[in-house]
Amino acid sequence: MANIAAQRIKREFKEVIKSEEVAKCAIKLELIDDNYSELKGEIAGPPDTPYEGGNFVLEIKVPETYPFNPPKVKFLTKIWHPNISSVTGAICLDILKDQWAAAMTLRTVLLSLQALMAAAEPDDPQDAVVAKQYKENPEMFNSTARHWTNVYAGGPNKNPDFDQKIQRLTDMGVMSHDARVALSTYNWELERATEAIFT
Amino acid sequence: MGNCLKGSSTDDLSPLRNAETTSETTTSEQPWIPYREVNPGGPIFYPSPGISCSVNQLSEEDQVKIAKKLGFIQHLPTGTYDGCKKNRECVICMIEFIVGDPVRYLPCLHIYHKKCIDAWLMRSFTCPSCMEPVDAALLTSYETK
Repeated sequence: MANIAAQRIKREFKEVIKSEEVAKCAIKLELIDDNYSELKGEIAGPPDTPYEGGNFVLEIKVPETYPFNPPKVKFLTKIWHPNISSVTGAICLDILKDQWAAAMTLRTVLLSLQALMAAAEPDDPQDAVVAKQYKENPEMFNSTARHWTNVYAGGPNKNPDFDQKIQRLTDMGVMSHDARVALSTYNWELERATEAIFT
Repeated sequence: MGNCLKGSSTDDLSPLRNAETTSETTTSEQPWIPYREVNPGGPIFYPSPGISCSVNQLSEEDQVKIAKKLGFIQHLPTGTYDGCKKNRECVICMIEFIVGDPVRYLPCLHIYHKKCIDAWLMRSFTCPSCMEPVDAALLTSYETK
């Protein structure tokens, strides 16, 4: 790994550890390998959002050309959000692409992601299905996102109605995640989700 | 420093142009044509001066852009760090300035290590700290020449 990249990550790592956000448990950063090229990030779901109470894990890969190019970041925790792929965890955020600046740091990236969770941009979606629901049926979006936070990120809000519908499909031999995706996609209409799975 | 804008641009350009002409006459299996088609006018991130990338892979238009950037960067003022308390570290490498370090000044008055900011400016003509365009007006007049 290029010297400047490793040097910077070393310094940034110290900066994050000392930051007040870490003290408040809002963000967390861990090293995965010894040469500072791969890290694990964690962000707490922002308050007053469907992600509240959840803990979201991120994969951070630092390119050799860092900080001249942005780090490659994706969600490892499954999440229902217009700008994050519900399948791959890929993120659509300008600062991780063409709006990156060399003065940005892993700390500012994590905080920007937290801000993105609190304020989605459905007109610039990464996941078209989620974005459509966000725009057309915000209440349904909120309950779905809260349910995903409960199941995948340890959020506190259980949704017995959703859990029951998933149970109906798993009883038919469908994997629970596939059932959840189909039901989330079809606004939790059991019939349409079943049809989508079996055709 | 001290070169006039036009002079340095011509100097930077001529070896690039020659290199491409040579490649065209010697071989036809260079990958530079498909490479161009992959990036039709989209944003292209240029390798930093430290990273070697075959000139043959760049279109003539790209080479001109790179040459213009190189020429332009050379016209931003440089100096050595004087111990000014306002700027303590270079935010690109996050290393504290040491008196005597070669630095470059941007129009927004942010300063960086010369080698750090030059590598950044090859990719983007904005200040990494405040996102201020480094000098949009001058660049525009330069491009229309």
